Parts: sequence; C-alpha cells; structure tokens
Amino acid sequence: MTQFIGGALILLLGAGLCLLPVSNATRAGLGLGSQAIATVLIWTAALPVLFGAPEITGELAWAYPVGVFRMRLDALGAFFLAWSLPMTLLGSLYAVGYMRPFFKGPRHLGVHYALLNMTAVSFVLVYTGEHALIFLLGWEIAALAAWLLVIWDYTNQKVRFAGFNYLVSTHVGLIFLVAAVMILYTHSGSWYLGDFGSWLQQNPGTARNVVFLLLVTSFGLKSAFFPFHSWLPRAHAAAPAHVSALMSGVIHKAGLYALVRFVFLIGTPDEWMGWFLIGFSVCSALVGGLYTVGQRDLKRLLGYSSTENVGIAGIGFGVGCLGLTWGIPSLVALGFAGGLLHVLNHAFFKCQLFYAAGAVYRATHTIDMEKLGGLARLMPWTALCFVVGGVAISALPPLNGFASEFVIYSGLFSNAPAGVWAKIALCATAAALAFVGAVSALSITRAFGVTFQGAPRDPTVPPVSEVSRWMLVPMGVHAVGTILLGMVPVLGFKLVAGPTGLLMGALPGAPVSAQLQPITDTLTRIGMVSGALVLFVTALVWLRSRAWPQAPSHNATWGCGYSAPNTRMQYTGAGFSSEFTGYFRNVMVLLQRKKAVTGYFPTDSYVVTDCVDAVERRLFSVIDHAGETATSLSGKLHDDDPRIAFAAGLVALVVIAALVLLTGGALP
Amino acid sequence: MIVLLTLAHVMVVLTLPILLIGVVNRTKSWWAGRRGPRLLQSASDLWRLLGKRPVYSTVAGPLFRAGAYAVLASGLLAAMIAPVLGRFAPLQFEHDFIVFAYTLGLARIVLMMSAMDVGSSFEGMGAAREAAFSSYAEPALFLLIGAASIATGNTSFAGLIGQLHDSPHFVWLVVPAVVTLVVLLQTEASRVPVDDPLTHLELTMVHEVMVLDHSGPELAAMQYAAALKLTLYAGLIAALLNPLDPFTSPIACTALSLALMAAVAVAVGCIESLMARLPLRWVPRYLLAATAAALLCLAAVGWGAPW
Repeated sequence: MTQFIGGALILLLGAGLCLLPVSNATRAGLGLGSQAIATVLIWTAALPVLFGAPEITGELAWAYPVGVFRMRLDALGAFFLAWSLPMTLLGSLYAVGYMRPFFKGPRHLGVHYALLNMTAVSFVLVYTGEHALIFLLGWEIAALAAWLLVIWDYTNQKVRFAGFNYLVSTHVGLIFLVAAVMILYTHSGSWYLGDFGSWLQQNPGTARNVVFLLLVTSFGLKSAFFPFHSWLPRAHAAAPAHVSALMSGVIHKAGLYALVRFVFLIGTPDEWMGWFLIGFSVCSALVGGLYTVGQRDLKRLLGYSSTENVGIAGIGFGVGCLGLTWGIPSLVALGFAGGLLHVLNHAFFKCQLFYAAGAVYRATHTIDMEKLGGLARLMPWTALCFVVGGVAISALPPLNGFASEFVIYSGLFSNAPAGVWAKIALCATAAALAFVGAVSALSITRAFGVTFQGAPRDPTVPPVSEVSRWMLVPMGVHAVGTILLGMVPVLGFKLVAGPTGLLMGALPGAPVSAQLQPITDTLTRIGMVSGALVLFVTALVWLRSRAWPQAPSHNATWGCGYSAPNTRMQYTGAGFSSEFTGYFRNVMVLLQRKKAVTGYFPTDSYVVTDCVDAVERRLFSVIDHAGETATSLSGKLHDDDPRIAFAAGLVALVVIAALVLLTGGALP
Repeated sequence: MIVLLTLAHVMVVLTLPILLIGVVNRTKSWWAGRRGPRLLQSASDLWRLLGKRPVYSTVAGPLFRAGAYAVLASGLLAAMIAPVLGRFAPLQFEHDFIVFAYTLGLARIVLMMSAMDVGSSFEGMGAAREAAFSSYAEPALFLLIGAASIATGNTSFAGLIGQLHDSPHFVWLVVPAVVTLVVLLQTEASRVPVDDPLTHLELTMVHEVMVLDHSGPELAAMQYAAALKLTLYAGLIAALLNPLDPFTSPIACTALSLALMAAVAVAVGCIESLMARLPLRWVPRYLLAATAAALLCLAAVGWGAPW
C-alpha cells in the first residue's frame, strides 16, 4: 500500500519538477529519474503479488468527493502494472532521442515529460483502484494525458483534428462507462468494485446484460475494437512515435484489463456474452487485419494492426468466458492465459515496431513507404528490430506472437467436453484467426519489403544514417523481450499464470496448478521446437559458408532483359496490395487520384492510391445525411402553425401519462 | 519401434521430394507422348546447382543469403510434424498442427522477403500473389484439421489424421477432405492450376518469379524446399487414406503410404497434363472451393454427431 501511494506521489512530484524553469535536458532527466524510482518502488510490491503473494488491500481517507480511497491489487492488476510502468519508462527514454531536435529549441519539453509521468500515475490508479471513482479518475487522466501527448505538433491542423477526434471518441467511451457505473451503483449501493461483483454474480438478467453491453462498448472504444476504431489510425499517425507506441502497446491495454476485470467480477457470465465477445473480436481482427494491407503510412498501418491484435486477445477472453459458463477449467485457462499473454506480447512487439517507424521518420522525415526503400542497408539495427517485430506480429515461430496465438488456438481446438456445434463455431473462429495471421504476414512483408528492402525510391529523401542510441536501446530492449518470450514462452506464461489462476478460482475442480501444468508442458515443447528451428537455420547457413567458401559474384537484379531499369520501377506498396484489396472492395475504401497518360509524347502522369477508413466515411456520411434530413423536415414546418404546437403539447401529455402509469405510481 | 519408424519417416520425407517430382514429370511426359526424364533427374539437377558459384544481386542483403536456408530449415521442421506414415510423426504433441502450419508460414514470409530484397520490378508480384493465395488457403487447412479433430477427439496431427479411419464420419469426410488437401497441395507446392512451375513468362509466375535472382546452392535449397512441400501434402493425403497402423504392420504401412504418395504424384501429373492453369483472377475462387469443401467436412461432423 505504502509503495503505491509513494510511487504515485513520486510520479506527481516528478511531473511538477519537470515544469521548473531549468534546461530541457534537466527536465527530461527529472521525469526519467522519478519514473525509474517509482517503477522500482511499485515493482517491489506488485511482483510478489503477481507470483503468488496474497493480494494487497489498503485504505486512505480522502476528503470529498471520494470519501475513502480503497485500493486492492490482485494478480490481475499486478500483471498489467508489472509491464506497463517499465514500458512507459522505456518510451520516455526513447523520447530523449526522438525529441532531440527540440532539446535546444524554445519548446518546453517539461510538459511532455510531465504528461508521460501522469500516464504512469493513471496506471497506478486504474490497476489498483477498488473505488469506482478512483478507477474513473485514472481512466480520465490517461485519456487527457494521451490527448495532450498526441497533439505535440499542434500547429499542424491535421494533428489537431486527429487529437480532437481522439478526445471525442474517448469521452463517448467515458459516457458509456459512467452509465454502467451508475447502474451498478444504484443496484449495489456501493462504489466498490467488489460489491459490484457480488451484485453482478447474484442478479443475472436485463440489468446485468445492459451493463455488459455498455461496458463492452466503452472498453471497445478505449482499446479500438472495430467498429469503434476510427479515431485510432489518425491519432497514431499524428502522435510522436513513442506516444503512438505507448498508446497502442500500453495505455489502451487498460480497456482489455477492465474487460477481464469485469468478467472476473461477473464470475459466471451468460453463454451469449462469451459468443458476443468472440464475434466482436473476430470482426475486429478481420477488419483491422484487412486495413493494414492498404495503408501507405507506416504508423497508420501499425495502428490498424492494434485493432487486429486486441481482437485476437479478445478471442482468447471470449473462449475463457465460455469456459467459465460451461464450467470447464482447461478452457478458462487456455482462453485467459492466451489472451493475457497476447496482450503482453503485443505490448512488446508493437512498441518495438512503432519505435522503428519513429526512427525511420527521424532519419528520413517521411513515413510514407512509397517514398522510401533500401533502408536496411543504411539503418541495419532499425531494420533488424522492424523485421523481428514483424515476424512476431505475424504470429510466426520462433517469436512471441506465435506463443500466445498458439495458446489461443489450443483453446479453440481444445477437446473439452463442449457441444459439437459449439466446437464447430470455435473451429470456424480458428479458421478466421488463420486468415488474419496470413493477412498480417502479407502486410508486414509489404511494409518491410517496400520500406527497408530493395533500393531507395525517391531521390528527394535525404541520405540517412542510423539513429541515436537513445532510440536504439529501447527498441533493442523490446526486441530482446520479443525474442526471449518467443524462445522461452514459459517465461511469459509464468507472468500470466497468476491472473489466470485468479479467474479459474471460481470454478470447482482440480487445483489451479494442476490445470495449468499441461499448458506449461506444451509451451516448453514450443520453446524447444523454436530453439531447434533457430539452431537448424544457423547450422544450414554455417554449413553453406563452409562448403562453398569462394566469394560469390555480383550482378544487377534480373530485369527480364530490360537494360535501363531504375529504382522507381521497384514493386510498390500499392502494387503489392492491389490484387488482395481488389477482392475486399466492399469492406475497404480505396481512393485513387490519377493523371492518365495522354498524347504521343506524354508528360508527367501519376496514380496515388489511398486506403481510407470505411467506418469514418460512413460516420460522416450518416451525419451529412441526418443534417440534410433535419433541414428538409424543419423547412416543412412553420412555427406560426397552431396545429403543430397543439400536437406537440398532446404528445408531451401522453408521454408523461405513460411514464406515470408504467412506473407504477407517483414519480419519486 | 519408434526409432525405426522415425528413421523410416526421415528417409521418406528426405528422398521423396526428388522421386515425386520425377513421377510428376514422367506422368506429364507420358501424356505428351514422350519418354521423359529419369525418375531421379531432379537429384542430378540439384547436384549441378550445388556445384555452381552463386551470383547475387548487387542490391541483395544478408536476409537474401540466409533466406533460402531458413525456408529449407522450416520445411524440414514441418516435415518432422507431418504424419506421412499415418498415425506417427517423429515430433508429436498437442496441437502440433498449428506449429506445422505456422512453420510453413515462416518459410513463406522468408521466401517473400527474399524476393523483395533484390528490389526487382517483378519479384514483388510473385510475393504479393503468394501472400494473397496463402491467406485464402490457410483457413481451409484449419477447418479441415478442426473437423478431423472434432471427429476423432484427438488434438495431435498424427492422431487426428491417422485415426480418422476409426471415426464413424469417415465415409462422409473422406471425399471433401481429399479435395481440400489436393487444392492445398496445388497452392502450397505451386502446381497447375494455381501456378505453373514450367512457365517462362515473369508476369504469370508465382513461385518461380520469387526465386528469379537465386542461383547456385541457394536455388537448390529453394527448389528442394518446394518439392518438400509437395511431399508433405501428398503425405497428408496418403495418411488420410492409409488404413494400416504403422505400429502393428510397419512395413506394409510404409509401403502403402509410398504407393499412395506416388499415386498422388501421378494424379498431380495427370491434372497438369489435362488442364491449363487458371487465369489468376480465378485462383481465389478455386481456393474458396477448397474452403467450401473443408466447411462441408465440418458440417458432416456436426450433423453426424449425437446431439
């Protein structure tokens, strides 16, 4: 308890110190230092809880409006807290390199670091808050801090638009969350999550279902599930790279935390909730995956892939929910362990990919892959980090994305005693997941191939060199984590075993450790297979270098005999995706601007393909349409017509009468 | 016993890539009225390639050089999981089929990245097609495996393919399952009607255009890996049809598996001789047919089961 309050105070103090009139470098140092101290302090309390120590509860008297600040840290909160804080610290470290041009400038960098500290404070509040208002406070601090971080480059109108788009979306989410909390408060008469839980467990029915839908909408907006994701590609493209990384990898994982927490509070969810979660998540994974294929902006691409990956984690949670409903502990274990593991793995590889994309931006001042090319030769470390993250995000062995998707697949293909048609539905879900995996392999090959491989495309992009160590080190730490969690997946499973056990606790049956043992065994084998794969590749490459020691000769790339190829003739990103996107024209909106070739001696001509968000377009077209309808309706009415006033009065009377009758007596 | 079977399995998956390609080519020659190359011709071709000094593109990086071997290694690892002899595979654990599919996926992404590495105007075309086709094909494999898994209650690849015979649904499953696997074979091993390994026009190639810049030992590794994929899928079809148990009658089972795989190769050769490759825009529909067949398997399991 003391550690958490101490940690939060240190973070707040650090945020305050960042605003002092000292040099920008000192401010950054103060922010980083306070974050490091707070992280270590909180780890000393959170890690034991994660690995099996009893949960920590505590109270702190606080004046209006909360009353008593009650906190509780169990294994679930400890899991999220354990990696959120250090990853925020790494992001702040990366910021030193990314923001380097501003260190000597007139901009006040302290605000930026203070906001990063506030993000860390919000994690402490959200993951430990037992009082609903504290939880909401943390939620809101995270939203506001993220918004202010996104609009760092606020003089750019596009960035402001993206920022406000995010702010509106996140507050629409807050409205749903507040509505759900109000329902829970009126029924349980308490502000504590534990009391919400006991009411939810005892009262299945309409109110609980409404709360479920409200909360899923709110958490869906927070974590950018489809169709609530339209703010995400804009915000990720507009924000500084480390902010995009932290939002995608860490901050918006709070939505998934809240989802799992809520399932834990319900105890035994209804069957439709599990299926609903699976359906909702499959849609997110599919749409997110498809949209990654069409993007030409690297950060937008990575943003859509967040929608895909929260969907994949959500499938795991849905399977876990079904396991809770059916009372099958092995399914609960596979579903939640797989989902949580994927959340952790996603945080590792997504931050790494965003950092690599940020490094590309810092070096070349563009993020449009059609203008890049051949960066692997010039920025080898960044390229290595990107390809490691890319293979991981495509869920391929031997990296960590495979380990977590393997556990989720195991849940979908489990031979648990469920009905045949339920199993068939889960099997179809697995097929959808396989499709998503193949699609993300396509888009990563495209992104890596066009940006980093081949030769530079655009002569106007300045010559580049590798970025500074401030940016490479956080990227490298994430890459090491990605590799380690892939080669030794049991390590990751150790981290999620605690929260999974917590969720399984409600079910009768064998002890939790016995239920988790088979998963540990399988993951050990996966680790061995991954190790064998790496050894095998290394052995073959070594063998080749020994068997054919003579130097190879070099020549131009095969160009079908064309003698004057240039680098503009390389395969482009739009070309790479055009065949695939052609089949999904109904889901994806591709806008083409082109100037066709005309005349016998054509001058310049071009084709530019942009993939815009269908949900956002639809949203605006609906608003447009509604506006027109309202205008035409009001045009038909005349204010001086007495019949309209009379009709309106009559309708009001009828509504009031109906309310009085339906509520069964006098209004309160 | 297990040691002997492992040995047999390894021998089969290592030698058959060469033999099966020979059988396919012999069949095609027979249809064309020629005598055709020797059965072991592709071994000589690979040997010739191994002796050559490679030529690299000036743009190629380290990924290009190591890529061919990563593809080969992934293929070999997948070969240890695929139960080509029926109920047995050297590497066998719960849900190993996911490792099988995703190891081949790793081989695919490395192959595509190797193709993109040389900055060619053509090779990206092959990579884009490979990526698109594989994403249509992957669901079919998972649906098929899911159907077999539900029908047998088994979660390891060898178990669910090998024991499908004992399942009451076998009669209903076998035709759509074989159809699915044949289409998957044609996609994964780049055979007609999805892709034509003999085409000479870069604009219509899929697999061959991706290895245009490979030469010498790297090309040998890529070609062997492609033939290995053909063997694995032929082996899966053989395992599905093979009613013998490798543990009670190992020799007969191995012989029958080999015969079935040869029969699959003959069938592949016949298909290649009798039909032209599909126009590229029809390939996704062809692959959707495989998914439909796999869904049929799943439906058969659903309706056949007691409620």
